[in-house]
Amino acid sequence: MNPMTDLGLRFIRRPGPGGRAANLAALGATAVVALLVSFLIAGSLGLSHRSDRIGWRSADKADPASAIGAIKLDDEQRVDGHRLTVLELAVLDVGALRPNELAPPPGLDHAPKPGEVFVSPEVAKHWSSLSKEYGVEHPTGVISAKGLSSPEEFIVIRGVKTIAASEHPQYVSSWNDDVWDSRMLGLLIAVAFGITLVLFPILSLVGQAAGVAAKRREHRLAALRLAGATRAQVLWLSSVEQAVLGFAGAVIGLVGYTVLSPLIARIPLGGGRWYVSDITANWWTVLIVLAAVPVLSVVSALIGLGRVSITPLGVVRGQTRKRISVLRVGLLVIGPLILAYYGMQAALLPVLIGVGFAALAVRVIGPWAVQLIGKTLANLANGPVALLAGRRLADDPKGAFRPVAALVLSGFVTGFISVFMPPGDDNPSFHDMRIGVALLLSLVFLTVAASTAAGAVGTALDQAAPARALRRSGVPLSVIERSARVAAVVPVIGVGLPVVGFGALCGLALSGGKVLTDGNSGVLLLIGQVVAGLVLVAVAGAAGAPVLRKASAN
Amino acid sequence: MSFQTPQSQVVLSGHGLVKYYGDVVGLAGVDVAVRSGEALAVMGPSGNGKTTLLHVLAGILTPDQGEVRLGGERVDQLNDAARTVLRRRRLGFVFQDNQLLAELPADENVALPLMVDGLSRRDAIGRARAMLAQVGLAAEAGRRPGELSGGQAQRVAIARALVGEPQVVFADEPTGALDATTGSQVIDLLIGAATYRGAAVVVVTHDNAVAARCHRVLHIVDGRVSEQVGVVR
Repeated sequence: MNPMTDLGLRFIRRPGPGGRAANLAALGATAVVALLVSFLIAGSLGLSHRSDRIGWRSADKADPASAIGAIKLDDEQRVDGHRLTVLELAVLDVGALRPNELAPPPGLDHAPKPGEVFVSPEVAKHWSSLSKEYGVEHPTGVISAKGLSSPEEFIVIRGVKTIAASEHPQYVSSWNDDVWDSRMLGLLIAVAFGITLVLFPILSLVGQAAGVAAKRREHRLAALRLAGATRAQVLWLSSVEQAVLGFAGAVIGLVGYTVLSPLIARIPLGGGRWYVSDITANWWTVLIVLAAVPVLSVVSALIGLGRVSITPLGVVRGQTRKRISVLRVGLLVIGPLILAYYGMQAALLPVLIGVGFAALAVRVIGPWAVQLIGKTLANLANGPVALLAGRRLADDPKGAFRPVAALVLSGFVTGFISVFMPPGDDNPSFHDMRIGVALLLSLVFLTVAASTAAGAVGTALDQAAPARALRRSGVPLSVIERSARVAAVVPVIGVGLPVVGFGALCGLALSGGKVLTDGNSGVLLLIGQVVAGLVLVAVAGAAGAPVLRKASAN
Repeated sequence: MSFQTPQSQVVLSGHGLVKYYGDVVGLAGVDVAVRSGEALAVMGPSGNGKTTLLHVLAGILTPDQGEVRLGGERVDQLNDAARTVLRRRRLGFVFQDNQLLAELPADENVALPLMVDGLSRRDAIGRARAMLAQVGLAAEAGRRPGELSGGQAQRVAIARALVGEPQVVFADEPTGALDATTGSQVIDLLIGAATYRGAAVVVVTHDNAVAARCHRVLHIVDGRVSEQVGVVR
């Protein structure tokens, strides 16, 4: 085995002082990344599986001359408070094939003849209240899982002889063609949109996870350089460590996703709960996660180490940090301009680019704003807590912003979405959107929680040596902890709140200045964001405080 | 340069100090006393209890047996919060690698203990700058540690240790990271400035040249005082 590989594996087994906390934080954060990536891939595939089973119901572009069926959908009726979908199906003659010779639609044991009624299991339970209306004492058959969108779907498929042209029938060319169900397609587009919004928080989390572990090994790397190792060798050693951590995190994340799948399947999105099999990670999803998460971790760690010069005399950082240019603020206008130019009529891609650009602007401008706030805080400080926090923010704004970047970006997402919250009626699309927003924010907040906690651990380890000296000199731990908390909270409030406004501005740019939100749901969303943000900072503090206390103890 | 042992009052004393780290004996019954204005060097092989003695005398660690008195007050019986306040108000510290806060300029580093003690920023910075001027760093008050040489940074650390008018200054290998000439200047400044104010100095060191500048040398071997040498010349 390559000696550096061997050494890297040894360092994983014996992480050294502070290394165990750093590795655990990195492992936890990587596991969350793996869980989220598994969810996004398997969830998207779940939409595809569901669409495969029910896509034929929304097919309407078939040529009537060659169609095998005509359908008419009605979803106005309710059963026991649930919306009932009634699908009238006229199986058509196709050339030499007679209707009864056709393969049946998914989930049915034969193509329904006129007067036959197939029902979902949920409808079967309530059939006594429907039997009169449909004129049959018992349904002809129960639709199997292969033909249902959800185990709790309420649907009746009734065979009819014909559907009059005046009733605008839709024509089906195949029961199993590639046509996407329109609702699933809408959700898939929403998922793509959501991935764009959650992408930066996730990448931020990957960087955080890699960074917290990498920081712990900087001194060891310097010692290795002193012992004659080349820069390439120490980078390889870091890659080995990070790859092992990333792989272990990926495995934990995948196991976590599998364990949580039954709970995730209960999310009533896109027409009801899910079959667990729909959202189970398949083998290539597993392969992607097992490969992508370690690779992303290694790349993030190498980028992080690339910023410092590992010399035999130690890890040397720039003593005079570069000032961050105010020109960065110019980026703030590009995203909204793209969104305003294309507007709601745009194809998906330009809108995604616009949103991505706006999120990037937040990421790039965040450190500049943190530096500005830090300087102001330090200059106005009259006590040690604000002075320490302000100087810390001003001295390393990128480092200070990194742990809260995901939280600030979630503010952008919330602000953006708050403009589009649909009214509270029971339109299925609006229902999906509300669930989708809740889901998206849950994902973002989960990312943020992991990111801020990992960041807090990294910051605590970074500050251990000076904090130890301060404690020995008689500075109470409470002063050190309070300054760490202020340094964490100030970027969240000082940058996060304006970013919520910027998100709303981008949303308004996209909507052409119209607030589509009905009632107070947008306001509730924003209040929820602020509360969640503060809770998450507290969570991060709770994660960092014991590490700082232990690492700075004598 | 050498100093006469002052005939002033004992300001800091330890009697029968014993400290264990699990089964390992850190101190095995040490008696020590330091007078106001006196500089005491603590020498001995690595891992034999020098730093442990310093930490016990400074109230950073509590002894398992024995007592520590500062100006007659029992330090070892104080709780952690009280010892923290005592270290801040009555003791000063200089560490080997200065342990200044990298993000604070020199004047704020020196002012920080005063601000922690409740002094206004304006007053604290004023006193810090005056102290920096006394250690020859008036022009460097606005610079951060990364912009200073090793010797300058250690002088800032000395200013920080002295700014609160401590009764005792503890220094752990204060010249360990400096070249001989700079180290000599720094130790002269530390001992000179502290004893001029009537403060005692306790220096842990491996360096004979540093010990030679102190009034007395205490040799610690296996957690015991093996030898005390007075008036070094």
